[in-house]
This record gives sequence, C-alpha cells and structure tokens, in this order.
Amino acid sequence: MDGILGEVSLWSGVDVGRELSLFSPMLALSATMLAIVACPLILGRGPRMIATVSVLGVLVTLVLTMQVGRAVAGGGASGLSTTPEAGLLIADNLSVAFLLVLCVFLLGVMLLWWIGSAETERNAPEFFILLIGSALGMALMVSTANLLMIVAAIETASLPSYAIVGFDKRDRKGAEASLKYMVFGAVCAAIMLYGVSLLYGLAGSLSVQDIARYAVAQLGGGENRLLLAAALVCFVAGVAFKISAVPFHFWCPDAFEGAKIEVTTWLSVASKAAGLILLARMVVIFSGAVSSPLAMHILDPLAWAMGIMAAVTCTVGNFAAYRQTSVKRLLAYSSIAHAGYMLMAAAAFLHPASLGAESGLAALIAYVVVYVFMNLGAFGVTAMVAWDTGGDGIENFNGLMRRAPWLAVPMVFCLMSLIGMPIFAGFVAKWWILVALGNVGHTLGWTLTVVLALNTLFSLYFYMRIVVQMTLRDDGRPMVRASSGGIALVNFCGLALLVLFFFADPFKQATDRFSRNLVGPKAAKTATSLLGPSSESSASSR
Amino acid sequence: MSEHLLSWIVFLPAIGALLCLFVPKRQVRTVALLATVLTLLLSLKLFGTFTGGGGDSSAVFGTRYGQLHHVERATWIQIPGKLNIEYFLGIDGLGFPLFILTTVVSFLACWASWNFHEWKINKGVRAYFVLFLLLETGMLGVFVSLDFFLFYIFWEVMLLPMYFLIGVWGGPRREYAAIKFFLFTLAGSVLMLVALVAMYFYGGAGIEQAGGTIASGYRQGVQLTHGTFDLIELAVNPVIQRHFAAVSTTFLGMKFAPLMFMMLFIGFAIKLPSVPVHTWLPDAHVEAPTPISMILAGVLLKMGGYGFLRLCYPIFPSGGSTWAFFLAVVGVVSILYGALCAMAQSDFKKLVAYSSVSHMGYVLLGIAVMTDVGFQGAMFQMIAHGISSPMCFFLVGVIYERAHHREINRFGGLWLTMPRYGTMATIGFFASLGLPGLCGFIGEVWVVLGTFAAAKNPAMPWAYTMAILASSAVILTAGYILWLIRRVYLGKEREEHEGFPDASRRETWILVPMAVLCIALGVLPQQMVFNFTNGTLNLMLNLVTGAPAMVG
Repeated sequence: MDGILGEVSLWSGVDVGRELSLFSPMLALSATMLAIVACPLILGRGPRMIATVSVLGVLVTLVLTMQVGRAVAGGGASGLSTTPEAGLLIADNLSVAFLLVLCVFLLGVMLLWWIGSAETERNAPEFFILLIGSALGMALMVSTANLLMIVAAIETASLPSYAIVGFDKRDRKGAEASLKYMVFGAVCAAIMLYGVSLLYGLAGSLSVQDIARYAVAQLGGGENRLLLAAALVCFVAGVAFKISAVPFHFWCPDAFEGAKIEVTTWLSVASKAAGLILLARMVVIFSGAVSSPLAMHILDPLAWAMGIMAAVTCTVGNFAAYRQTSVKRLLAYSSIAHAGYMLMAAAAFLHPASLGAESGLAALIAYVVVYVFMNLGAFGVTAMVAWDTGGDGIENFNGLMRRAPWLAVPMVFCLMSLIGMPIFAGFVAKWWILVALGNVGHTLGWTLTVVLALNTLFSLYFYMRIVVQMTLRDDGRPMVRASSGGIALVNFCGLALLVLFFFADPFKQATDRFSRNLVGPKAAKTATSLLGPSSESSASSR
Repeated sequence: MSEHLLSWIVFLPAIGALLCLFVPKRQVRTVALLATVLTLLLSLKLFGTFTGGGGDSSAVFGTRYGQLHHVERATWIQIPGKLNIEYFLGIDGLGFPLFILTTVVSFLACWASWNFHEWKINKGVRAYFVLFLLLETGMLGVFVSLDFFLFYIFWEVMLLPMYFLIGVWGGPRREYAAIKFFLFTLAGSVLMLVALVAMYFYGGAGIEQAGGTIASGYRQGVQLTHGTFDLIELAVNPVIQRHFAAVSTTFLGMKFAPLMFMMLFIGFAIKLPSVPVHTWLPDAHVEAPTPISMILAGVLLKMGGYGFLRLCYPIFPSGGSTWAFFLAVVGVVSILYGALCAMAQSDFKKLVAYSSVSHMGYVLLGIAVMTDVGFQGAMFQMIAHGISSPMCFFLVGVIYERAHHREINRFGGLWLTMPRYGTMATIGFFASLGLPGLCGFIGEVWVVLGTFAAAKNPAMPWAYTMAILASSAVILTAGYILWLIRRVYLGKEREEHEGFPDASRRETWILVPMAVLCIALGVLPQQMVFNFTNGTLNLMLNLVTGAPAMVG
C-alpha cells in the first residue's frame, strides 16, 4: 500500500486500547469541546457554567496527561501504527511536558477570563470552543512527526486563533487584527503546504524520519539538494509563523494589540511554545538521522541558519519594543524577542558539536515553563490595570506602586524576570540557554552567547520604562481596584518566579528528565557518543 | 553560628529586611539600624581570625594564594558530571578589609538615614529600609563569594535596590541618574556573564585535553573532571591556567586570556569608575540621597577594584601584562581628568563625586603596574577612600539639609557658624586631599612608589612618566580641596547662615568614627590595613608574576 499514509495498515496488529490511552489528553480536549456544545442544551448558556465545564475538562486532561507521562517516562511511543516510526501521533516526555504546561497555562487564562470577561460575555460557549480548539491543535503540533499531521495540527491551532482574535464582532480593532492575522497565516500556510508537497515528492514519504534521512543524504551532495533546501525553507516558514520569528512576525503586534487581553496572553505563550517544541522535535529527528560523525558537518549550515534567525529575531523584537506606548504591544514585541532566545536553544542542539543534545532541549523546556509564569503575570497585571482604567497605555501604569501595590510588586518581578535579572527565574532560564550555547562552543555558540548577552542589555530600557511609570512617577491617579482572584493569580506567578530561581536544581532535574527518552533520537544518541571522544576537534578549534 | 559565620553576616541584613516588612511603620528604622549594628558586631568577630598567628603571616595567609577562612561549601545547582555550581563562601586578606568596610559604612549610612521622616521625599519608609538592607546583603555577598556564579548573582542583586534607592528618594533628576546607573552597570554585567560562561567551558576544555581528570590546584584529594566556577581553582590550577594562557586558545578568533581580561576589566572599570565609563557616577552621586551616596562611594566603587584583584589578575595574569600600558594610561587619565573636573565644579556634591573618580584612578594605576607596593597601595587607597569619601558625602549632606542648595560659591564662613561641623569637615577633606598623617596620603604615596618601582621592569619603560604624572596630580587635588575649604568654611560669616544649628549629636557621632579612622589609618597604616592585606596580596602577586606568559 503505497498510499499517502505510507506503511500504515490501519488497526491491524495495533493494541488500540493502549494507544488510545496514550492519546487520551487530546481525546479529553475534544470531549470538552463537545461538552461545551452540549452544555447550553442541558444546563444553559451561563458564562460561568460554560467556564466551569471547560475548567473541569482541562483538569481531566491534566490528570490524563500525568498518567500518560508515567507510561512514557522510560521511552516514548509512536502510535496508531504497527511500525514505530511511521505513527501519526507521538506520546513521549517532550509532548507530555508541553501538555502539562499547556493545561496549567490554559487554567490561568481561563481564570483571567473569569475575572475580566465573565460578566459581560454573551457568547461564552463559542469562546471556549475556539480556545480549547486551538489548544487541541497545539497539543497535536507537539505530538507528531508526520507532515500531514503537522499541517493539520497547525491549521487546527491557527483557525480558531484567527477567530478568537476578532471574537468581539463590534470591535473594529479586533476585526482588523483578526483579518491581518488570517491573511498572513493563510499565506504562510500556503507556503508551508508547498514545501510539504515538495518534501513528499522528493522523499516519497510523509514521515519526518524518512525525510530527515533523505535530506541528510541529499545535503551531503545529492543532485536535488537545492530543491530540497527550498522545500525545507518553505516548511520552516510555516512553523516560524507560529513562533513569530523574524521575518514572519508582522502579524504578532497587531493581533496581540487587537485581541482581548486573555487571548493575547494565550497566544503569546501557547502558540509560540507549540511552534518551538514542534521545531525542536524536527531538530531532534534531523540530528538523529545523521548516522556517521563524518556526515555531522551537514548540520552546521542548518544550525547557522537557525542561529541567525534567532539572533535577528531577538534583536528586532527588542529594538522594536522601544517605541511602543501600549503595554500590550510592548509585551508583544518582547514575546518576539523571547522567541528568539528560545530559537537559540534549538540552534544550539542542532549544531553538531552539541555534546548530549538534551542540554539545548532541556533549556528550551525550562524557558517555556518560566515564560508561562512571566507572561501570565505581566499580562495579568496589564489586564487588571486595563479593565479598571480603560486602557493599556503605559501612562495607565503611572504610580501603580501606590495605587495597587499588590499588582505593582509582581509586575516588577515579572519584568525583571523578562530582563533576566537574578533572583528571578528568567535568569535561570537564560542561564541554561547560555550553558547550551557554551556547550556548543565554536563560532556559532559564542556568537550567540554574545548576542544573547547584549540583547539582555538592549531589553533593559523598555522593560524599565514600565517600572519607572509604576514606581518613580505619580500624578495622583485614583486607586486601582482589582479582584482578589486576579491579585492571587499574578502574585502566584511572581512567587513562582522566585521559587524557580532558588530551587533551580530540582527544576533542572525535572526539565532534564522531560528531555530524555524521546521518540526518534535513538540515532542521535549514537551520533553523540560517536562525537564524544572526538571532541578534541571542538576543543582545538576553541 | 561560628561555622556559618559568613552566611550569618551576609544574610543578617536580609533577615532584617524581612522583619522590616512586618513591624509597625514607626519601628522600621529601629529594626534596620539594629540589623546593621548586629551585622557590624558579628563581622568584627572576623578580626580574631586575622590577628591570630602570633605575627607569623603565613599562619594566617598561608604560603600560596588560596588560603581561606570560614569556608562554606555546598552544592547548589548540579548536573552530575557536567556542571557544578556551589554555594562557596570564604574570606582572605583580599575580601576581609572590604567586608569590614562594608559593614561599617552600611551601619553609618543606616544611621544617617535616621532622619528619614524629615526628608523631602519621605514616603515609603518601609520600602527604603528593606531595599537598603537587601543592598547590604548583596554587597557583603560579593566580597565573600568565591564561586563565580554566586559572585555574579550577588553582583546583580545589588543593582535593583540601588536603582530604586536613587530613583525614588533621589534629587530632581533622579530618574535619569537611576536608569543611567542601571544601564552602565548592566553593560558591565553582561560582559561578565559572557566571561562567566566562557571561562567555565574553556576550563573544561583544558581539563579534557589534559586527559579528562586532573587534581585540584589547591584542595587535597579533589579531582576535577569538568569546568569550574571556583575563583581560586581557576587561578591556581596549572592545567586550566595553561589552557587559558595558550596562544592557540581563541574566543571568536581573538586570544582568550587578553580578551577575557578586557571583558572583565570593562565590567569592573564601569563600577570603579574609570574614564571614559565614569559618566554615570557624577549623576548618580549627585541625585542619590546622602546615605546612598555614602554607600555608593564607600562600598560600590570598591567592587571594581576588588574585581580586578580577585578575577582579572589571578586568573588572567598574562592579560595583565598585555594591557599594562593601557590600564596605566586609563588610571592616570582618570586621576588627572577627575581632578580637573572636580576643580571646575560649583556643585559641592559633584565636586566630591569627581574627586572619587580621581582617587579611584590611583587604585587602577597601582594595580596596573603589578608591583607589591603598587598592589598594597591600591588596596590601601580603596580602604582609605572608603572612609574619607562617605565622610565627605555626609558632610555635604549635613549642609544641604540646612541650606537646601549645594552651590559652593553661595557658602562661606561656615566654620564660624558651625564650629564642630567645620572641624570635622576639615579632617574629612584633608584626608581626601592626602595630607600626611591622614589616610589619603598613604595610598597615594604607595601607588606612586609602586609605579616608580615598576620602572625596573623592562616591559614598563613608561612607568616613570606615569609616576611623575600621578604624583603631580597631588597638586591639583590640593588645589581643588583647599579652594573648596576656603570658599565654604573660611572667610566671613554670612548672614544667611546665621540660624544654622551646629552638627547635631547624631551627625557628630556619625562623623567621629570616620574622622578617627581617617587619622588612625594615616598614623598606623601597618596595624590598621597592611597586616590584614599584605599576606594575600603578596601571594597573589607571586602567582601573577610567576605565571607563564603567553605560551605556544
């Protein structure tokens, strides 16, 4: 059967029960969407009712994810297939790590919605279906190594996102943002589909493993290597759109500014993290496909390409943030910069000299976890301020230290963490990326180290502008009222940043555990061990 | 308590800060002062360690660089077999005097904040003292942490409190001054961060080349299998040192040791500060409230010099000889330029700030020439300046509280109006001037002598010129200080100053310890400073000058 699904012979010889249990989190998310559809018919359309159902669904997903996590801790599984490599879906430590973060973050976003929008929202079921729908798409994005599934997952994540950005029909700004987002997304999706079809045509398979093997053979000097490189670039464009890496970042500030703040919070972390983990999985498989140390050098240009994209992304993000007067927009550019930092981790473990590819991957996971708290906290405070004062302009933060100290203090924590100052977790996150880059060494690793360090300096000023507004300026605006739930949320985030700093060691152990025993990189292990003894080559070039 | 003495001292202010959060607002300053007093008293216990040995300096300072006291080591963050970040505290002759200086100056500055409720900006008393105490923890930590990672953390921990202390409670241009301070210091920090990562991995590469497992350079029975953040190990381990100094070791195409030396140097030179990266200092000093100026001048500037002596020279000795001329030039330019700028100021506080630039130039010059007298002079100059300049800033603060301006030319005859204050001021400014018998003299003379001595070194033919320039700068110093004293304290009594009360009891008792120290250090330099520092400094100099130059 040479069909588009390759060697998948449906259901025969597959332990359906076990495999379905491995993908139960996705099923639970889908079931939650159905429950939200059913809920108005049985229990009514009350916004808080719908939110409760959604929260329950996410909690169930969280529990199921933990179960899956235990099942795959020792080694991942590629599912719904007799051949372990060709499965459409993957359950392993990496996808579990992301799903855990996703569920926790989803709960935070829902809490934010509960505080800010539950009173006025008339279309709660639709909102939650779109929200959970995009979450499902992101969950699928990180759980696959099959081109068809990747495309389907990215679209599943994107389409609800377009709609949810322009969710309030009467808001012209939101509608404009949504349209921009959709047009840009559609173009990127088209480019990616083009790349995917080229890749399938060249390699004759949809499995990323096969494509990686083919690409490694071709890039070493095959006749199709130019076409292949073009196809890879097209494919990466689609993923880069989700990450909002430069030059595919133009949608990001507009969409973030136009959307409701809960949605902005959601997109700023989840969509980027999903794209990055997907990219990370591709990188793991690509470096795993290189079977001999002699062929390792072909990874070098790929690592450089990704490194340059990372360096440009964080620098552009940081400099563009300077001129912003809306905090939402400022944080949008900051999220572009942070995507750049995370891309550096991906570039680090794509590089052939990366001894033990996990350190880059673990750094990426750690960064995503820390980033969830930093951004949830910062956007949470921005939301609280915007709801009370009617705008998210930087002037609305004036004197916040007096007007609402319980918002201002966690905001300072989150902003310091975003800069990367000790004693906040943002420093630890950056530190592990620096270690991953130092591990790589060579020109690439050290150049990126310097770029990352300099970007820390560049970013200081615009984050400090908010701090200055909150603490040093005060023109006597009235106090800010914020609900106790919201205050609890942002202070929890601020506290988490301190805890993750002081308990950096257990945190590191956890992220290390989640970056091991993945599906695919068995070859990477051997490649690494082959490279290990020959590391004098890396040492001598230092 | 005694086995964790350093931890207790370092974190006592932080505990005080925590208490400050919960006690009633009126008690906050009492708690803060108590915390600084306790820290000071506890730190005095350290004298026992350094006065022991019965005059035998090797009993206290050892026979090699790396003899530490009150060592505390615990693993903090670890990736087994790859990375080991330690909570590693220890104290030697390099950190000890600066550590004591920090507790003394912090206590005096906290006492100087006692009249917080009378300040122009007297909101947020709780936040002020909490930040103040956190700042003290950061400063103390820097001087005793010997793990580079931990050092970096403490270094950065100081930034944010200092930013707010200047930015919230400072003068009219506080916002500008605070962000400028933050930006400049962070610029230095990111360079240090790159060096931090690079030194770890290059050390690891050196060990790998040497076979993967080597013996520690100073700890019995300890094996190293990967890079280290241990600042002593990085300096004394021959394998790591050889790899760092090798010509073939390059970082982004540049020779490793001189480049790392320079990156760390820039970071510390910003803190010191040297011309041309000194511009944050006059702004920060002028805008900061008086107690914070005292901390800035008394302690924070010393961290630059401490960084040179702890990181740059022992770990990259070849960098020191490569850049010696450049560093000496920067030092001499700082001395002359700082003095000339001070002479041109009409703002009292700015004058003192620029005099700091000038005085810290001596520190840099003394270190740059790499002679024993030069190192000792630089160290002494740091301590002396750490006493005299907080005193000068406090003197300025006292008069500013009464006159509400700092225009030098509008003062006059203050000695007659405020006799007690005038006497103290004379001692303070003469100490800053470098009058023989007061503390400023010894440091400057030692640095100049050390520079002359360096002329014997064939690699430093320029040393005479530098020494002559540096010693002639004493005339400039005398010029601006004497002129200042004439304009402010001498002359006819002015009507507008008639109602000024003399220094209050609190102000006097803050000034007296500093005045006493100014005299004591000038009269008994050996007993007050050199006995505690020379042991370590000489051992370190042996390490630096005995180190192989760049090897092929």
